Amino acid sequence: MKYMIMMFGDQATIVEVKSPEWIRNMHALMTKIDDELREAGELVEGHRLADPSQARTIRLRDGIPVATDGPFAESKESLAGYWIVDVSEERAIEIASRCVAGTGEPVEVREVMDAPPEHLSDL
Amino acid sequence: MRADPRIEGMLREHAPQVLASLVRRYGQFDACEDAVQEALLAAALQWAEEGVPDSPQSWLVTVASRRLVDEWRSESARRRREETAAALELPGRGQPSDQDDTLTLLFLCCHPALSVPSQLALTLRAVGGLTTAEIANAFLVPEATMAQRISRAKQRIKTAGIRFDLPPEPERADRLAVVLHVLYLVFNEGYTTSSGPALHRADLTAEAIRLTRLLHQLTPAEGEVAGLLALMLLTDARRTARTNPDGSLVPLAEQRRDLWDAAQISEGVALITHTLGTTPIGPYQLQAAIAATHDEAPSAEDTDWPQILALYETLERVSPGPVVTLNRAVALAMVNGPRAGLALLGTLDTDDHMARTHRLDAVRGHLFELAGDTAAARHCYQRAARTTASVPEQRYLALRAARLG
Repeated sequence: MKYMIMMFGDQATIVEVKSPEWIRNMHALMTKIDDELREAGELVEGHRLADPSQARTIRLRDGIPVATDGPFAESKESLAGYWIVDVSEERAIEIASRCVAGTGEPVEVREVMDAPPEHLSDL
Repeated sequence: MRADPRIEGMLREHAPQVLASLVRRYGQFDACEDAVQEALLAAALQWAEEGVPDSPQSWLVTVASRRLVDEWRSESARRRREETAAALELPGRGQPSDQDDTLTLLFLCCHPALSVPSQLALTLRAVGGLTTAEIANAFLVPEATMAQRISRAKQRIKTAGIRFDLPPEPERADRLAVVLHVLYLVFNEGYTTSSGPALHRADLTAEAIRLTRLLHQLTPAEGEVAGLLALMLLTDARRTARTNPDGSLVPLAEQRRDLWDAAQISEGVALITHTLGTTPIGPYQLQAAIAATHDEAPSAEDTDWPQILALYETLERVSPGPVVTLNRAVALAMVNGPRAGLALLGTLDTDDHMARTHRLDAVRGHLFELAGDTAAARHCYQRAARTTASVPEQRYLALRAARLG
């Protein structure tokens, strides 16, 4: 099964309050986990996302899609990066837990909808 | 890459025997496996141009051996000495038959020391002769991911010191169960057309049937192997009728039975009929018997539900589990009415795993609908639609709920 592991964080606050050591460790941990997932044949894909301040949100205005600067939600915690892994749910949670233990930032694990239908039509 | 289907079929048929003979001669399963893949690729190109050689298998063994030796020559002298030493440690028994070799290879690829995804990938490559790209396509992952998975699996075989030998008699039954489970998973991956290219997934179904048929030929006295083959044939026979042209699911009761593959059904029925009672009963044989009962009914109304219920009762004794109970509840509902089925489903509410999947709600919705309780049915279908991770299933359940609104 495939799961998306989503790392959340407020990047503006990280830059302001975290020590250089914390930032170095966080990057080292992410790179290490990324290498491990790749090497184990578990990684489907993964990316870090640019800071939400760079986002553009497109909304309908008077029936016309219009782009505006900034993220859709004014949330402090936005998506900072993700992996899609092809593993069991337990393993996905284990990977996410390592990130949380190392960074203190929350991580969400969600199944990707490419699971097979489970014999429902045999009813 | 391998365009000619006749050559492709021939290559895949020879692949396990060529690999086995290399492993017997040189040891080093991982290096031999790479060399065989290269030889298969070379054959696909050369045979298409120049025709198939008189003895395809010896051609492949020769070319693969040459690749292997070239590879070793290019490595350091120290490494080469290790390879020679490893080759000398091979079991010194006489030339075994190709049949034994293929069976040994299946047991090796489905070794319990490997993770399940590794077992699937390695079996398809080493026994099935599929390329890494084909396997990656089938499982909807990048080729690099699959290559890494296969390479890790081979590394594991090396470090765990797993030998190229048939498992000793006391372990045979357990090891065979793992092989059957791997083949079953390959089949399911292919049978359940999901998002992604349906064509590739159908290929996996055909491949699972081919490999299980091969295993059945090698072990004709094993009832569960015959049972699994029959189950695959009888299930796959309904594939065309299972989905509409737009990809939406069609439940069994609404399928057009004239679309079912009659030849495959009669082969499956003959196989399971011949097997039942001649060997110890097992879960695959029972599931095949259930599939056969469905397939033999001329219409949904003519289904022999008392027979299916009896088979599920036996299956629950032989191999108990929440999924079996769930299916028995459907059969019970068809025999004794939906309320009887719903009562049995109630016993699954305390099952942690079942409570988290959509299956329980989907079946409960179906039984509430049969009982005429549309409000409860709608609620269950909606919950199931939110819980499933399958796109076609979500669509089916959401439509089912909306129809009752």
